[in-house]
Amino acid sequence: MRKGRLLSVGLLGRLFAILLLTLTIEYVASTILYERSSRALVRDDEAHRLAEHLVIARKLVSEQSWPERPGMAERLTTSRYYIHWAGSINPGLPSQGEPTPARARMIEWEPSLAGSNLQVRLVPVGRRAQLFGALQLGDGTWLHFRAITTSAGVNAGLRRILLPLLPAAVLVVLSALLFRETLRPMRMLAHAADRIGRSGGIALPEVGPREVKRVIRAFNAMQARIHQLITDRTQALAAVGHDLRTPLARLQLRADAIPEPALRQSFETDIAEMEAMVGSLLSYVGGEDDPEKPVRTDVAVLAQTIVDDAADHGGAAVYVGQDHIEAEVRPIGLKRALANLVENALHYGRVARVAVQIEDANLVIRVDDDGPGIPEDRLAEVVQPFVRLDPARSRNTSGLGLGLAIVARAAEMEGGTLHLVNRPEGGLRAELRLPRG
Amino acid sequence: MTSPTVLLVEDDPALRTLTARALHENGYVVRPCATAPEMWRAMEMGPIDLVLLDIMLPGTNGIDLCRALRRESEVPIIFISAKASETDRVIGLEIGADDYLPKPFGTRELIARVRAVLRRGGAEDRRAQRGQGIAEFDGFRLNLPRRELMSPSGAVVDLTGAEFDLLVALVDHAQRVIARERLIELSRTRMGDSSDRSVDVLVSRVRRKLSGTGRDAPIITVRGVGYMLNAEVTRR
Repeated sequence: MRKGRLLSVGLLGRLFAILLLTLTIEYVASTILYERSSRALVRDDEAHRLAEHLVIARKLVSEQSWPERPGMAERLTTSRYYIHWAGSINPGLPSQGEPTPARARMIEWEPSLAGSNLQVRLVPVGRRAQLFGALQLGDGTWLHFRAITTSAGVNAGLRRILLPLLPAAVLVVLSALLFRETLRPMRMLAHAADRIGRSGGIALPEVGPREVKRVIRAFNAMQARIHQLITDRTQALAAVGHDLRTPLARLQLRADAIPEPALRQSFETDIAEMEAMVGSLLSYVGGEDDPEKPVRTDVAVLAQTIVDDAADHGGAAVYVGQDHIEAEVRPIGLKRALANLVENALHYGRVARVAVQIEDANLVIRVDDDGPGIPEDRLAEVVQPFVRLDPARSRNTSGLGLGLAIVARAAEMEGGTLHLVNRPEGGLRAELRLPRG
Repeated sequence: MTSPTVLLVEDDPALRTLTARALHENGYVVRPCATAPEMWRAMEMGPIDLVLLDIMLPGTNGIDLCRALRRESEVPIIFISAKASETDRVIGLEIGADDYLPKPFGTRELIARVRAVLRRGGAEDRRAQRGQGIAEFDGFRLNLPRRELMSPSGAVVDLTGAEFDLLVALVDHAQRVIARERLIELSRTRMGDSSDRSVDVLVSRVRRKLSGTGRDAPIITVRGVGYMLNAEVTRR
């Protein structure tokens, strides 16, 4: 289970995940480092500016006479610094404030502040932190100040996070595309492997990384070997099949010379059975025809021909579908398939009700019988070649257990499917569902 | 009338003997030969009424031989093949063979085919049919060499051999009544065991296959006489 889920991510997914992980780690690490250093930098910067401002303010305010001092302090108040001359009264600092290393930095930057009884507190106001402070002028009066720290706004913060993320995102997308391209030969390989044995194999171009190239080369060689093997076997079987027909013809002609009717009859039955076996074997191994091409065909008429033929031979076959339905199909293969279905229906189910119709843009061919059906657990099995449900049961005329395998293959050739279902009212339904191309 | 001469080309000695015997017993003069060169020599020895040719002769492509034979003469050809495939049949008929006999075959089938091809009329008839051998009626196209019927919309309409022969007979006598007896006789030469009833069944089947949506097939029953194809036929 777990293995399945892991695999389903795919090679591409895994590579992508690795890339994503490394990039994330890299990003987090660099961000933390950057943040720490920049924050420190900003604070130092801030403390230095405040220190300079205070030195100037102290000087300017000290130079004024007392009545002028509040005005001067007011003039020194900027958008960032609030300066207030408090006279001889020390207003004290907000009690909830905490000492801050800013004081040490300020003194470090402007040592002249050291002797001015500087007090600094960091006080949270709302969400922001503010520096409150006071210092004593030379004459003992107090200058009170407040600094609104330029705390980074939410937007600025987001931008600071997103901005470095952008090149990372571009990298991720770019490498995803590159990974895809690199893995393309693997996809081609899977596609080609899937086609082996179905239609003519395709030799893959040897492209991609060295490892992939080697896999493709090995695959192509294997494909060629398999193809050769299949072709050899098919040709051998087909040759045997064709050659068997000559002695069969001799046998048939000799049988015709037998004067005793009963004996001649049994000879003819045997020959017919052998011929049917050869025929079904040849149509299964495909040695009979070159690959057939689709032709526009009246499938309903084709089905009627088979039903009429079965009826002429004494079978209870009826056609109950539409009179005319035209579609692009391989008529010889389809006719053989349909004949097999009708033959099976008559053999195991006594009757064959054949219908051809259009359903949801599909061509649907149904053959129903009134037989015992097939046990549910064996429905899939009977479509396999050389499988007969009951070996003790009398053979059908095709004799090799290839009938339904030939039907399934014909359906596959048309890009359709063969379904076998036991009808609720009894009997088996064989349904060919073909795309109406 | 002298008995017809059949030239048999078959490489398998036993089958050659058996086939020759079957033909001989049914009143044909047989000239058996095993190879293509032998066949050409036998052709020079006197007039031939029919060639029975196994197209899977060793050393020679039967299809090429059939084509060469057709270039030389208008003699009817039936080819025998161990490949029961439709493509072989169609190719053989297209290059000018008159019929096709799949292996294995029995005496009855062999004689029925030979008789049917010999009856199908003289060389003049066939020459008229050849050209392209296409007859058109009511939108349908009847391709005689390929033994194929196409619907007005260009789809293959599957016909059995007997149905095709019936349709050909009707087309040959277009807009003239063709007697039931004549049709029975015609189908008997082909099928060998045709009853009176089966001609009517055959006609009704062909009718159903030719009928379209909202229109009937152009085959009329003339009571007490026979049938008629009520459509104009153009040949190409």
